[in-house]
Amino acid sequence: MSDQTITAHPPSSAKPARRPVKGIWRQGWQRFARSRTGMLGLILVLLVVATAVVGPFVAPFDPQDQSPMIDPGAKAPPSWVHPLGTDRMGYDVASRVIYGAPTALAVGLGAMSIASLIGVLVGGFAGYRGGTTDEVLMRFTDFFLVIPMFVVILAVIRLLGVAVVNTPFESVPYLNLGVIILLIGVFSWAPIARMTRAEFLRLKNQEFVEAARCIGATSGDILFRHILPNALPSLVVIVALGIGGAVLAEAMIGFLGFGDPAAVSWGQLLYFNYEALKVAPWASLSPGVAIFITVLGFNLLADGLTDAFNPRAKR
Amino acid sequence: MIEPIPNLRQGVTPRPLLTVDGLVKSYPLRRRGLFRQTVTGEIRAVNDISFSVAAGETLSIVGESGCGKTTAARAILHLVEPTAGAIRLGDTDIRATFAEDRRPDVLALRRQMQYVFQDPYLSLNPRWSVRQILTEPLRVHGHAPKEDWDATVESLLERVGLPPDYADRYPHEFSGGQRQRIGIARALAVEPRLLICDEPVSSLDVSVRAQVLNLLADLQEDLGLSYLYISHDLSSVRFLSNRIAVMYLGNLVEIGEVDEIFARPRHHYTAALISAIPVPDPSNQAQRQAIQGEVPSVVRRPSGCVFHTRCPAALPVCSQQIPPLSAPDGTHAFACHNPR
Amino acid sequence: MSSLATAKPTAAMSIDDRSMLTPPVHDLVRVENLRIQFPPWNAPVRIIEDVSFQVRAGETMGIVGESGSGKTLSSLAILNLLPPPARITGGRIMFDGEDLAAKSQGEMQKLRGRRLAMVFQNPGYSLNPLMTVGAQLGEILKVHEKMPRSMALQRVEELFRLVGITDPGSRLSQYPHEMSGGMKQRVCIARALLCNPALVLADEPTTALDVTIQAQILDLFEDLKARFGMSMIFVTHDMGVVARIADRITVMYAGQVCETGDKHAIFARPSHPYTQALLASTPRIDRRYAIDGEGRRERLPTVGRAVAPGQSLGGGCRFAGRCPEAAPECSRLVPQAAAIEPGRVVHCLKRGSAGVASHD
Repeated sequence: MSDQTITAHPPSSAKPARRPVKGIWRQGWQRFARSRTGMLGLILVLLVVATAVVGPFVAPFDPQDQSPMIDPGAKAPPSWVHPLGTDRMGYDVASRVIYGAPTALAVGLGAMSIASLIGVLVGGFAGYRGGTTDEVLMRFTDFFLVIPMFVVILAVIRLLGVAVVNTPFESVPYLNLGVIILLIGVFSWAPIARMTRAEFLRLKNQEFVEAARCIGATSGDILFRHILPNALPSLVVIVALGIGGAVLAEAMIGFLGFGDPAAVSWGQLLYFNYEALKVAPWASLSPGVAIFITVLGFNLLADGLTDAFNPRAKR
Repeated sequence: MIEPIPNLRQGVTPRPLLTVDGLVKSYPLRRRGLFRQTVTGEIRAVNDISFSVAAGETLSIVGESGCGKTTAARAILHLVEPTAGAIRLGDTDIRATFAEDRRPDVLALRRQMQYVFQDPYLSLNPRWSVRQILTEPLRVHGHAPKEDWDATVESLLERVGLPPDYADRYPHEFSGGQRQRIGIARALAVEPRLLICDEPVSSLDVSVRAQVLNLLADLQEDLGLSYLYISHDLSSVRFLSNRIAVMYLGNLVEIGEVDEIFARPRHHYTAALISAIPVPDPSNQAQRQAIQGEVPSVVRRPSGCVFHTRCPAALPVCSQQIPPLSAPDGTHAFACHNPR
Repeated sequence: MSSLATAKPTAAMSIDDRSMLTPPVHDLVRVENLRIQFPPWNAPVRIIEDVSFQVRAGETMGIVGESGSGKTLSSLAILNLLPPPARITGGRIMFDGEDLAAKSQGEMQKLRGRRLAMVFQNPGYSLNPLMTVGAQLGEILKVHEKMPRSMALQRVEELFRLVGITDPGSRLSQYPHEMSGGMKQRVCIARALLCNPALVLADEPTTALDVTIQAQILDLFEDLKARFGMSMIFVTHDMGVVARIADRITVMYAGQVCETGDKHAIFARPSHPYTQALLASTPRIDRRYAIDGEGRRERLPTVGRAVAPGQSLGGGCRFAGRCPEAAPECSRLVPQAAAIEPGRVVHCLKRGSAGVASHD
């Protein structure tokens, strides 16, 4: 301990005069930049994002284009025209993988936005109010933690497929995908709520929050100016981790054949091609690697963010 | 119950700024069942204490951890809600004002009394620059006009002995003493009349401690502030106080003028507390009388005088009757059946 | 030595009186030019720079300093317990004719708890919360002294009684969380004494305690010292505590020694400007602070210039930035030890120290 305090006191009292001004975020970024795993994660995530944004313009084939079926045929090995080969149904694998990126990101970001919204509201309310409110909300949260998410999602998708037939909903584009995103979100908020509650509980009795109360700041001021910004770093970490989890969950749903037939998703590509794994390994390995890179990227990013914002947690 | 103590500035008896009468703060002891909680008793953190602080004076509340001094301070500021008792600041009834909860009234009250916290590392929002920290009170209390805020921030920093160009730095860039100055500046921003200082120097190094104590003395003289100074550190109390109130296990056991208390403590706990402080002088280590035992649990308060379990001069009556706080000479009050 | 005449004779003084005669009684511990550094190793942070002091047999050395003075690190270095990135990069720690700094962790393991014992600041953290105190302390005896269980517990109980734990027999089967802070610290002191150590290192052992409990623990230390005659290094920031407990004092600032000497001499005639300032700026319970007719109170003297202009752990005297007497060469030259009285050493260019340019 005293190792740090040595620079904290007398000899360094002039330190502020030399160092440029730094906020917690800037400081966090500097620490993040020094974390190798974090930077690797960031690079991987940026790679996926770039693919999602630029990919559709540079992809050689349309995702629904089955013309390669004729030449060079289905399950063709990689070639100049088809760098990752073609799959069982004659699609160009490279193009399908590229078009899968926006879907994966939509699932990850969409589901986690929903989860964060619910989680922060429920957890924040529980943590700030405390007492019975806290008790009730946290039991509700526990309930969501113990529900087997996949069983519910698969059941809902199957029922939905039957229920929308001959209704106006049938024409809603990407309805299945939207429902998957919504359901993953609805089943992932519980950890976020728990983390938010813990942070709010910790922060609401901190002296600087009491100082604000002494000054006469309103509850809104205290919540949104003092508590939430200080809780954000921990939340950012758990949300980044959650994005990877959501991408993986969607891939699993797709792999089980419950994905959105209209959307191009890596899980579905695996589902279509795993039977031909021995004949055309490229067709199932490529989406697999894409899933791996994305999930790994977000997990490493979360790891780096932990390093950046809770430097003491690891030492 | 206790007369306001005179004689701060010669001959004049200032009207008390803060009057606390019969303050009680108790917490219910609950047992949690599966579905409901049952109240099984209560912890009296503060047990019927009364005192007053005159304008421009420092009243110190001293005692060991768990004696209720911090709870008393927090109850006055309404950081915790008092269980019973009357608290008045000037002509305002603090408890009634908070009960009515009319925002202009509450803000007017907040402007008059501010808190200086113990730990300067925890009491400043780590994500805010000094400027943000110091403008918060200005914003909350609608100090117009906005253009003057920067000037106010700079003058506040100068007031507490920091260069004004530190305004855009963040708390982690400062040493403990500098942070405590920022905390004091934040309290001064609303121009209060009463500062409640909760161990403001106990986490600081010796050489910095003296600077901050001097700053508090300067501010008191220049701005006519009253201090309610909460501390376990009797040496800083001796320096900064006009009067001292000694607390033990939630009770006020002795109150009087600083030099009188140190020279002639009447309560045995006060005497023990004073003699327990190690004096930085090896040739003056003689008269010590360490009291034995430890502070009893607040859950099981001793009957009668709460100190009788450790008191060297306890009489049979001490365990049966609660000694009243009385001041035979009119200024120096103590609660003891068998005073020194 | 006129100030000594006014001092009340204590048991501790007789040891010092002997040591004032030359040649002194033998040094149990001799820390010589100790240097501790932190990474990055291409430009290391010199946390502890050329620190030397001696602890004689049977005496208590008080190491005083503020946070960041390196007082704790210097004492941890003796036990080879430096926190991981820190490393001893120079100097010797002579104990019983051996250099502790050169010993391996395995060799130190055998010494720690037996010949060298430690009492930490926070007794709550240094006891295992999952074991009864009797079992924890008995374990030490089993490992170090190969004592059978029943005998070990007997010895622990005996020590509990010695350190003033009431009802020691039933305390053995208690867990740390069932005890108060003062009681836990007594257990830690008993643990330190289990194997009759030659040297006890106490790092702020009373700082976390209430004042009345602190007084009891200080009494206990004095009592034990008289009884066991062990040497002690007592690290503290509190001038009052050191005035009570120590025989000799080493004052440290920012990783350098300011001065070393007999307690009475240092309090009566502080030599180093930092010691002088430290003593002057400590508010005192045993004096009146005047308030004039206008209600203005006197001020405490403060340490030199309030805010230091730069210069952290660089070369030269590290107090130079705040020193009221600093000359230009003070921030360039490291002051070496200068003897000003028998048994007293000061490191200050203004007090006759030779200056050596910082070596880097």
